Amino acid sequence: MKKQLALLIILGALSNAGGFNPSMQSYINGLKIEAKKSNSNFTDFSAQRGEQIFTSKHIGKRGKEISCTSCHGSNLTLPSKNAFTNKTIDPLSPKVNSQRLTDVLEVQKWLKRNFNDVYKREGTAQEKGDVLYYIKSK
Amino acid sequence: MKKVLLVLPFLLIGAVVAMADHDDHGHDGSKKLSGVAVANNAVYQKECGSCHFAYQPGLLPKRSWAKMMNTLDDHFGDDASLDPKTTNYLKNYLVNNSSDNSLEYKRSKKITASIASNQIPLRITKTPYFMHKHNDIPKKMITQKEVGNIGNCIACHTTAEKGIYSERDIKIPNYGGWDD
Ligand code: HEC
Ligand code: HEC
Ligand code: HEC
Repeated sequence: MKKQLALLIILGALSNAGGFNPSMQSYINGLKIEAKKSNSNFTDFSAQRGEQIFTSKHIGKRGKEISCTSCHGSNLTLPSKNAFTNKTIDPLSPKVNSQRLTDVLEVQKWLKRNFNDVYKREGTAQEKGDVLYYIKSK
Repeated sequence: MKKVLLVLPFLLIGAVVAMADHDDHGHDGSKKLSGVAVANNAVYQKECGSCHFAYQPGLLPKRSWAKMMNTLDDHFGDDASLDPKTTNYLKNYLVNNSSDNSLEYKRSKKITASIASNQIPLRITKTPYFMHKHNDIPKKMITQKEVGNIGNCIACHTTAEKGIYSERDIKIPNYGGWDD
């Protein structure tokens, strides 16, 4: 029993150090399975592709040019301003904001909304994984 | 007996706090509260305060909130959709605390009275009471980057979180207080 507990704690510490917490990791794993289904060449998500998704401009839901950086800024360790409402948004980088990318429902909700804002559609599994790897790397 | 004595001071404090709450009684004895009721619901603050200031429910009538909550996927050109359970919960919260259900609050009463009964405004900033109060503000005070748009209440009303919008608590960024 004690051993099991110690193992759990170690696993917890490990997953917090580099990767995602267990619930986020299982969300990511689910996205991987989905991504593989629609692209047989798929091996893993890529922060580099994620950067392209995050920084490129598109004609968004409001008919105006917009990118993820319009609301989250280009430096994810700094606060930014919502392009629609002017409200301050806390940094997206998990390195300076430990709340980020920890709550699966929160992440799903915002990815759905924000892809709609910028791409006028929901993100694919691969796009979502890529962009999460990118944010995690910042 | 000892237990009762221990509890007594707390009961007294409770009574004093309750009385302070009702400080704003009208002289005719009816309940008259200034401002609008505070939006002290945690789910509301989280879900409706993430993109902008969490506007108090007492700023719009129930028909407005009901309509808004049915169209969250196209919320002023943005996607603010929530799962059906949360949507329903917040709709009830907004309707229960709407301006027409909070007539004891001065601002809620004035906002409600200003809207024609056949109108369903979705913007607080398009209600006649609001427009009347903000018409004289020079454009440049609103478009400056610290404010951005007139829906950014908290940028000028320093006590907006408390539901207090009185003139003495207004501080327009780079311009200061408001004297008219
Ligand atoms: C119109 C403004 C806007 C745009 C454009 C936008 N976001 Fe967001 N995003 C927000 C807001 C507001 C939040 C929630 C506020 C907060 O948590 O501080 C948020 C939250 C998030 C979160 C949740 C993070 C967490 O764990 O708390 C992620 C992930 C995210 N955005 C990714 C993106 C991606 C990817 C794009 C581009 C496809 C994007 N955003 C574009 C406004 C925007
Ligand atoms: C995803 C971002 C987002 C979320 C979440 C959101 N809103 Fe909004 N809201 C906006 C935008 C964008 C506007 C329009 C800003 C503008 O153009 O002036 C707006 C405007 C409003 C206005 C009108 C303000 C005015 O001009 O008078 C009200 C009222 C409002 N929202 C209520 C809500 C409520 C209630 C919720 C929760 C159910 C909510 N909002 C959640 C983005 C959001
Ligand atoms: C650009 C700054 C600014 C913004 C943004 C702003 N207001 Fe005001 N507001 C004022 C000023 C200035 C007055 C005083 C007008 C007067 O009495 O001449 C005022 C007056 C009011 C009053 C009446 C107060 C009184 O004593 O009669 C209310 C209520 C109010 N605002 C609510 C709001 C709400 C709600 C929002 C957001 C939806 C908002 N305001 C956004 C500047 C602003």
